[in-house]
Amino acid sequence: MSRILVTGLGVISAIGNNAQENRKALVEKKCGISTLSLFNTRYSGLRPCGEIKTETGKLLSTLQAKEKGTTRSSALALHAFHEAVQDAGLTAKDIASSRTALVGGSTVGGMCLTDELYHDANKSENGSAYLSSYDCASVNLYLQKRYQMSGTINTINTACSSSANAIMYGARLIKNGFAKRVIAGGADSLAKFTINGFNALHILSPENCTPFDKDRKGLNLGEAAAFVVLEREEDVKGKKCYAALSGYGNSNDAFHASSLSEEGDGPFLCMQTALQVAGLDTAAISFINAHGTATENNDLAESRAMLRLFGTPPPFVSTKAFTGHTLGAAGAVEAVFSILNLNYQEIYPGIHFTHPIPETGLIPETHYRKTSLQHVMSNSFGFGGNCTSLIFSKV
Amino acid sequence: MAQETIYPGIPPSILRRMGKAVRMGIGAAIPIAQQNNVDGIIIGTANGGMEDCIKFLNQIKDYDEGMLTPGNFVQSTPNAIAAQIGLLHKNKGYNITHVHRGLAFENALLDAAMLLSENPHHQYLLGGVDEISDYNYNIDWLDGCFKKEKISNAELYNSNSDGTIAGEGAAMFLVNNNSVNAVAKINAVQTLHTTNEEDVRQALKQFLQQQLPAAQQTDLLLTGENGDARQSKCYIAAESLFDSHTTIARFKHLCGEFPTASAIALWLVCYLKKLPQHMIKRQGTASAVRHIIICNNYRGLQHGFMHITLEQGLHNSI
Repeated sequence: MSRILVTGLGVISAIGNNAQENRKALVEKKCGISTLSLFNTRYSGLRPCGEIKTETGKLLSTLQAKEKGTTRSSALALHAFHEAVQDAGLTAKDIASSRTALVGGSTVGGMCLTDELYHDANKSENGSAYLSSYDCASVNLYLQKRYQMSGTINTINTACSSSANAIMYGARLIKNGFAKRVIAGGADSLAKFTINGFNALHILSPENCTPFDKDRKGLNLGEAAAFVVLEREEDVKGKKCYAALSGYGNSNDAFHASSLSEEGDGPFLCMQTALQVAGLDTAAISFINAHGTATENNDLAESRAMLRLFGTPPPFVSTKAFTGHTLGAAGAVEAVFSILNLNYQEIYPGIHFTHPIPETGLIPETHYRKTSLQHVMSNSFGFGGNCTSLIFSKV
Repeated sequence: MAQETIYPGIPPSILRRMGKAVRMGIGAAIPIAQQNNVDGIIIGTANGGMEDCIKFLNQIKDYDEGMLTPGNFVQSTPNAIAAQIGLLHKNKGYNITHVHRGLAFENALLDAAMLLSENPHHQYLLGGVDEISDYNYNIDWLDGCFKKEKISNAELYNSNSDGTIAGEGAAMFLVNNNSVNAVAKINAVQTLHTTNEEDVRQALKQFLQQQLPAAQQTDLLLTGENGDARQSKCYIAAESLFDSHTTIARFKHLCGEFPTASAIALWLVCYLKKLPQHMIKRQGTASAVRHIIICNNYRGLQHGFMHITLEQGLHNSI
């Protein structure tokens, strides 16, 4: 079996509208967490978020997404999908081919439209334009229709590891011969649903989040979309390739509905499986883009899992301090960042870190540097104990 | 509406906090998960716990984002079914939730097929679950999914109006590569997105050519016909590919329409010893049922085909 290569990238997040803008912000330590200015909630001044500062209407008109009932999540997805397929040089015919699959992760879908959903779920007349746009699948069904896609289309929701699983599923579709090429990623927009949900769980930070810091106060929510184009090595001769997707692992922590086990069993197992699939020893991993939400629970459990698996973990960082936690999109956003790490042979620094967690003493990278990177691991863990780890390798 | 059981095996304190989708999913999964070591859990559900989801949303609106309790929020995520099964059985293996609306179950099935090809000695719990809540019923009602007139399920296929009847359910399967004592063999699954019935006909024709070489015939075609006048064209196109050998049957008068209803269709062909008369649309000449095609579509856009063979054979009629 030939390798699975990444031939296109697309991302929109609070730190940029495309891969290059995101990279620039990461290099320059430019944080995207801010006071909410577009999204309306009573937590606007109280809970900073990674908000994309483009109004939904503007996004839709720029993308010429005139279809009735198109949501912000779909618009973000379309934006990143478009960048990824352009970047990979895919033609309309390539995208529409029955051998091209689309796999997307989402947790919010169209539920960003709280007022409309509230009305449509509770009232028996005057349905809104969004009646078929609330579920997670609506995002990928929109892309399917827009690009007339005829291959396998799938939507995955494993909470905050959704799009990492989408990328893993995409790679497996190729390996098993169900697709020749896959566009995989995910999208989520800010929603009252998630802001209130995480706030009720007391894990939203009132300040900029500080992953892996002793005094971390919780996460900042964010919104984003990201897609990667995966192709078989034999099909991409002469084409630009960013990295190879060499390993993936999915396991369940089986401990609690909304928090990780103390020793991070799920994180440990998914990282271990990803190494096995890639055929690599722990020493081969040059860098980890950690899940690192900056909650009390995650960062400690993830640190312990890294210590258990690696002994001395490789350099690591959580880029959620830049983008916020973009939920169903996070796995894909961070996959793109990991691929950029490899492609440019550089480490993006963590920000807002001061003191290590006393129990583990682990210190994330805090300075930008050029270095030799062979294999980069990207971790994503979600509610329900859904843990997934991906490994990208230099080509 | 699904009639719920007493759910032996779930502690009452945990059961009380579960929404119906989670209860149904776990209730159907427990008999399998208790008796078998599974290497992973693969669930297809379009909406998961819709009721919890909207309860939380209503709290947000009604209390103007005041202090809320997170219980409904945590239960509302669609992955709660697979997660709770994993949690109850301390299963740390592969765990995933496919939510691609009308093809959530087909994608879960494809995932299971790939896993069994990657890990030939493993076995997995595979299932499809969706609930009717007041809320998704309301949204789908506004969207014109259901019949406006009152209708008995026995009359479903005689109706010429738009819309169908709502349904819900959960079906779980133990899948592996071991044919000894197997109830059925799932040979292939294929999916398609189109609103054009000719595309459906062509895709199914190709699927049949790949799955059933010359000498083999389809003994039973089980379709997702649901009494919605707008969707009958796709089923007519599909039926046109089968001759008088094939018995054509339907199942949605039993479970109603929901995005993962095809899981119920698969369960029915595995479970039924005889095909009851009320399911039969056209009696074929096949004397026993060995090769089965399930052909389903959700809202005229998402189409799924499955090819199943029964080792024991299913008797064709009463």
